[in-house]
Amino acid sequence: MSAVRKGPWNAVLRRTTRLSPSCSLLVFERPEGFPGAAPGHFVSIRVSDSTTPLLRRPYSIMDLTGSSLSLLVKAVGRGSAALRAARAGDRFDMIGPLGGVPFPAPAGPEAVLVAGGTGLAPLLFAARSWRRARLAVRTTLIYGAATGNELLRDLVKAAFGTYRFATIDGGAGFHGDVVALCRDLVSRGRMPAGTLYSCGPRGMVRALDEAAGSHFSAHYTSLEEIMACGVGACRGCTVPVRSGGERVLKAICSDGTVFSAGDILWEEWEE
Amino acid sequence: MKARDAAFSIGPAKFRNPVFLASGPAGYGTEYEELIDLRRIGAVVTKTVTFRPRAGNPGRRLWETSAGLLNSIGLENVGAERFFAEKLPRLVEAGARAVVSLGAEGWDEYRPLLDAAAAAHIVDAVELNLSCPNVDCGGMSIGGDPALVERYVRAAREALPEAAIVAKLTPNTADITILARAAAEGGAHAVTAINTVLGMDLRGPGLEPVFRRERAGLSGPAIFPVALDAVWRIARAVDIPVVASGGISSVEDAEKFFAAGAAAVEVGTAIFYDPGLPERIVDALEARGAAGPPGAKPRKRRKR
Ligand SMILES: Cc1cc2nc3c(=O)[nH]c(=O)nc-3n(C[C@H](O)[C@H](O)[C@H](O)COP(=O)(O)OP(=O)(O)OC[C@H]3O[C@@H](n4cnc5c(N)ncnc54)[C@H](O)[C@@H]3O)c2cc1C
Ligand SMILES: Cc1cc2nc3c(=O)[nH]c(=O)nc-3n(C[C@H](O)[C@H](O)[C@H](O)COP(=O)(O)O)c2cc1C
Ligand code: FES
Repeated sequence: MSAVRKGPWNAVLRRTTRLSPSCSLLVFERPEGFPGAAPGHFVSIRVSDSTTPLLRRPYSIMDLTGSSLSLLVKAVGRGSAALRAARAGDRFDMIGPLGGVPFPAPAGPEAVLVAGGTGLAPLLFAARSWRRARLAVRTTLIYGAATGNELLRDLVKAAFGTYRFATIDGGAGFHGDVVALCRDLVSRGRMPAGTLYSCGPRGMVRALDEAAGSHFSAHYTSLEEIMACGVGACRGCTVPVRSGGERVLKAICSDGTVFSAGDILWEEWEE
Repeated sequence: MKARDAAFSIGPAKFRNPVFLASGPAGYGTEYEELIDLRRIGAVVTKTVTFRPRAGNPGRRLWETSAGLLNSIGLENVGAERFFAEKLPRLVEAGARAVVSLGAEGWDEYRPLLDAAAAAHIVDAVELNLSCPNVDCGGMSIGGDPALVERYVRAAREALPEAAIVAKLTPNTADITILARAAAEGGAHAVTAINTVLGMDLRGPGLEPVFRRERAGLSGPAIFPVALDAVWRIARAVDIPVVASGGISSVEDAEKFFAAGAAAVEVGTAIFYDPGLPERIVDALEARGAAGPPGAKPRKRRKR
């Protein structure tokens, strides 16, 4: 058996907080022996003792300290409903940290992080990790949600140097989506250059790369796909990417979750 | 305390216990090193390898159903060369016992695959995947035809005379015992039953097929009764051992497979949500002692 274990852990929920109508913060006790993790890594949770739903549900690590593990859970279907209904003291069968390539630390002094919805989770972990490592980097968060009350403002204020909000309904910040906001900032010369980090719906990341990718020295994005094993074995979570001039299929769970946005063959990747 | 030595054999191949990880979900085995103690597992049946590398199917590949999982992976694999040079040696180094799953595609691909397996020298047990529903040529069209099953098995016996040859059968046929008899006739040391059951799903407001190929393979607890039925009937139709695969999700399911006449069990989809299950089945077998699982019928078995 490998010296490192990735579970299954019997993780105890310490507290849960409704941060917005659709999002909850779940803070677990860090299981004893749980290895260190990097931004972009995730855990996968069995949400029921029965076989419905059957598969584990993957969640990005939003923070990992010596004693706690935090996740951001958005209401989607049965699995997330079970997680959001859980109470302090409940235990979950969890595996992790999973993931191969995490977000690399910024090469220069500027990092722009663009989040759509719960895409905030791994970016928050990135900003917190860099801060803890005392990296000399200025972070700008550009963060969008459907409505103002879905913006998790308290979470972001402490973690990023600068932040800008966008809402589809115009309820807070820029009226429009994050891509329109980024386009606007670039065109007005208000967008810092440097390294771009993103996480959010596929359509958002693709449009972001097309609209603003060339403004940055690199664009790293953390991807999501339905997963079964979470460890690269089943080949169920592949994304077509360009690699060394060739088209290859990479497993998001073990070759990612982080990829260079410019390498992704979006036309071939189905929703 | 180990009350019994759970070791058993299939043809010339010996295994420390009759609990295997199923081809596909198990990948190349080493992916699970940090979740499963591979040295405690009877064998890892590796992802089906084909002569040439395969990229697998485009589009969505996984879809959850009620107590089941539809997959349309399309036999993505690294091909024989890399498999025998890298993947298999890595698994053996990790202390695991391997059963190599060989993909039965068209004859022109199958012959060189058998030669590559023979040349690798470390292959002493193979499972012939005669039954993958997710590829066009070969796979199921071969696996559904008893004459071809017999021919493919015989070719494997000839190419790998020292190895145990296990034929994995498809349930997507009117009578699986006919396929089992054909495999036995071809000289198989055992059969594995079952591979995935054909199924599909629709989604979105337009209720469009989930998968580009429309049909996919159903696995998980939803198919356990189908697998149990197949194992029960095959065990009574042929006198070679039956390896049970399909929907196992608890120690009790394993006991039912053994009671139905299985000589070994494979854990597939359950690894995804319960990677501790294979070791718990091994624990239960060891704790049970020489008496074997309750209800297990001693079966006559012809030595081959
Ligand atoms: C690496 C990774 C990190 C993620 N991080 C977060 C996070 O930090 N916060 C968060 O709220 N969500 C995150 N997700 C998405 C989350 O896993 C899904 O929202 C969740 O699985 C939905 O389950 P459900 O039962 O509530 O929904 P259902 O609609 O019942 O799910 C049906 C099926 O779709 C799958 N599924 C649905 N949406 C997704 C999706 N976007 N990605 C993967 N599988 C999906 C489920 O696993 C299940 O198989 C992440 C996904 C991945 C792959
Ligand atoms: C994602 C996935 C991939 C699979 N790939 C293979 C394969 O390459 N070769 C094979 O013989 N069976 C393959 N199978 C079938 C399994 O080995 C097993 O026979 C089947 O899933 C039924 O068992 P289960 O319900 O325990 O998973 C695959 C199954 C799944 C779910
Ligand atoms: S989920 Fe199995 S390979 Fe990624």
